[in-house]
Amino acid sequence: MSQTVPVRFADVDVGHELCTLTLTLSGEQVKRYAVVARMPGGRFMGDDDARKEGLPGQIVPGNLSMALFSRLIAESFPGATLKRLGATFRGLVRPGYALLIRGVVTEKHSSDHGDFIECDLILESAEGDRWVTGTATVRLA
Amino acid sequence: MAIEFDRSIIGSEFDRTVFDPVTAEEAREYAAASTESSAAEGVTSPTFVVRLRGRRFMPANLPDLGRMGFDAGKDIEFGVAVRVGDVLTAVSTVHDIYEKTGRSGTMKFLVLRTTVTNQRAEQVAVIDQKMMFR
Repeated sequence: MSQTVPVRFADVDVGHELCTLTLTLSGEQVKRYAVVARMPGGRFMGDDDARKEGLPGQIVPGNLSMALFSRLIAESFPGATLKRLGATFRGLVRPGYALLIRGVVTEKHSSDHGDFIECDLILESAEGDRWVTGTATVRLA
Repeated sequence: MAIEFDRSIIGSEFDRTVFDPVTAEEAREYAAASTESSAAEGVTSPTFVVRLRGRRFMPANLPDLGRMGFDAGKDIEFGVAVRVGDVLTAVSTVHDIYEKTGRSGTMKFLVLRTTVTNQRAEQVAVIDQKMMFR
């Protein structure tokens, strides 16, 4: 369940686990994202177009995986500001498969610019295959 | 063997595009499709910047890196928030070209850096996109 109260820097320790998002993207959702995000390529549009490109079927754009990481941060730390987001696309993410998106706080630091946490992020299958890994820097309120 | 290419390509600008003002409809559509939320009314969701596509996706004078690769990863450093009505400019450069050998063989990487600013010349985002070639 999403929290609505801002999370304070003092209340977060290294090792703090972010909430887990569990979802399954539909082919239509992926296509819609690709259109709105102006992603070229049939691989995002449907299975037939993707197979013409030598893929096993429609795939999820890496940018959408990053958006899911961004959503994870927003739901885990309401009121926080995302300062940096990085992702490595390790495997093909496909619509129709259950996805688990989770993360953990790995570091805390403060400067004149504010209080920050570093997070490791994972997008994986229900079987634990890590399809996308990422890191984020977040400024807490 | 290391990739041979004219290193003057590193840092060279290959695209500069000024986009139409961000509309409320674009911001809403992107937030809905990405399932992200925006921080405040009139502000886009964070990854909205990835939808900015310049006129040229790749530099014309790119060395031969092999078979067309795929998106291997991305790093976005966020600056000031994007607001409805902002006129954004994206400038793309070749940031790096390198080779890496792993268990599956040798791969070549191209890193394209896109710096996005608004009409007040404030930095909105720096996006490093890593493309992998075999």
